[in-house]
Amino acid sequence: MSHDKSSPDFLYHHFYDVNQQYETSKLGMWAFILTEVLTFGGLFVAYTIYRAWNPEMFFNANLLLDVNKGLINTIVLIASSLTMALAIWAIQLNKRKLSLLMLFLTFVCALGFLGIKYLEYEHKFHLGQLPGEYYSYMGPEVVQEIHDQEKINHYIETNNIFFDKETNRLYTMNNPHIFFGIYFIMTGLHGLHVAIGMGLIAWLMVLTARGKLHARYYTHMEAVGIFWHLVDLIWIFLFPLFYLIG
Amino acid sequence: MSEEHHITPLKTYLVVATALFFLTAVTVWASYIDLGSFNIVLALLIAGTKAGVVATFFMHLLWDDKKNATIFVGSLMFLSIFIIITLTDTEFRGAVNPEIKDPINKRAALYSTLPLTDDHGYPLDKENNHHEGDKDHH
Repeated sequence: MSHDKSSPDFLYHHFYDVNQQYETSKLGMWAFILTEVLTFGGLFVAYTIYRAWNPEMFFNANLLLDVNKGLINTIVLIASSLTMALAIWAIQLNKRKLSLLMLFLTFVCALGFLGIKYLEYEHKFHLGQLPGEYYSYMGPEVVQEIHDQEKINHYIETNNIFFDKETNRLYTMNNPHIFFGIYFIMTGLHGLHVAIGMGLIAWLMVLTARGKLHARYYTHMEAVGIFWHLVDLIWIFLFPLFYLIG
Repeated sequence: MSEEHHITPLKTYLVVATALFFLTAVTVWASYIDLGSFNIVLALLIAGTKAGVVATFFMHLLWDDKKNATIFVGSLMFLSIFIIITLTDTEFRGAVNPEIKDPINKRAALYSTLPLTDDHGYPLDKENNHHEGDKDHH
C-alpha cells in the first residue's frame, strides 16, 4: 500500500487518489462505449445499405411490426433511464434506500421491456416472419392495416405486394426476409444488452443493500448508468428506423 | 484534487425525461404525415436530438472531464466515416457498370420462377413441406 492510513478503504493501491480512480474507471467505461457504438454501427450500416436498396420492401415489411408495442417499449426504456439517473442522484446524496428503490424500478422496467419484446418475437415466430431462409410468411395479415385503395394500387403498380381482390388479401413482398434478418439481429443484440444490463443492475442492488456504495464511492453505479443510457440511446434510433418507416 | 462530483439537480432529470417523452410523441406523430423522403430525415433529427439529450444529461457528459465527450464524439465520427464510405460504393455501383447495379435487391428470380403459392397465398404442395437442399424455404 502506497497510501497512508487515512486513505479510504475503497481506494485501490495503484491509484494516486480517489478522484483519479473515479476518472480512470469512467474513461475505461467510455472506451467500452466507443466499441459498443462501433459494434452497433456495423449493423446500422447494413440497415442503411439494404434500406437504400429496398426502400419499398422496408416500408411494406415495417407494416408487419406493431407500432404500439414499439412505442410502449420506448416509453418503458426512457422511464428506466430516468430511474437509473435518479438512482445515481440518490446515492450521491447518500439516500441509499431511495437509490435501491430506483434501481429496483429500473430492473422492473427492463423486465417489462424484455417481456414485450418476447411477445413480439413470439408472434413473429408463430407467423414465420423470420430471417433469411426461415421466412415463410405469406402476408394475409397486412391487408387489415391498409384500407386506402390508392396505396393498394400503388403497391400493385410497383409490384411489391400482390393484392387478391377476391380474398381481400395481400401477399408476398420483395425479399422481406432481409428486413427481418436485420430486425432480429439488431433488436436481438439490443435485447441481449438489456438482459446483461439487468444482471448489472441486480449486482448494483446487492452492492447498495450491503452498503458498499455511498456518496463518496459509487463508481460501479455511474459506470452501469452510462451503459444503461447507451442501451436507451440505441433503442431511440431502432424505434423510428424499424417501427416508424413512412 | 476535489473528491466532490457534480450533483445534477433533480429538476434537470425530470425536465430531460419530459422532453424525451415529448419527442417520442412527436416522432410517432410525424411518421403518420407523408413528407416523402423528408420523413426519414425528420425521424433521424428527432432521434439525434433525443440521443444528444441522453448523452449530455443522463450520461453526465456536460459536467464530465471533456475527454469522455471526446471519445464519444470520436466514435460517432468514425461511424459516419464508416457509413459514408460504404455508401459511396453501394449507392453508385451502377454508375460505372450498369450490369452490376442492383445486384440482389430486385425481385429475386426464385419468386417468379417457382410457383410457390396458390392464388390465395397458401403453399401449393403441403405434402412437400421439408426443405432439404432448398435454401429458399417457401
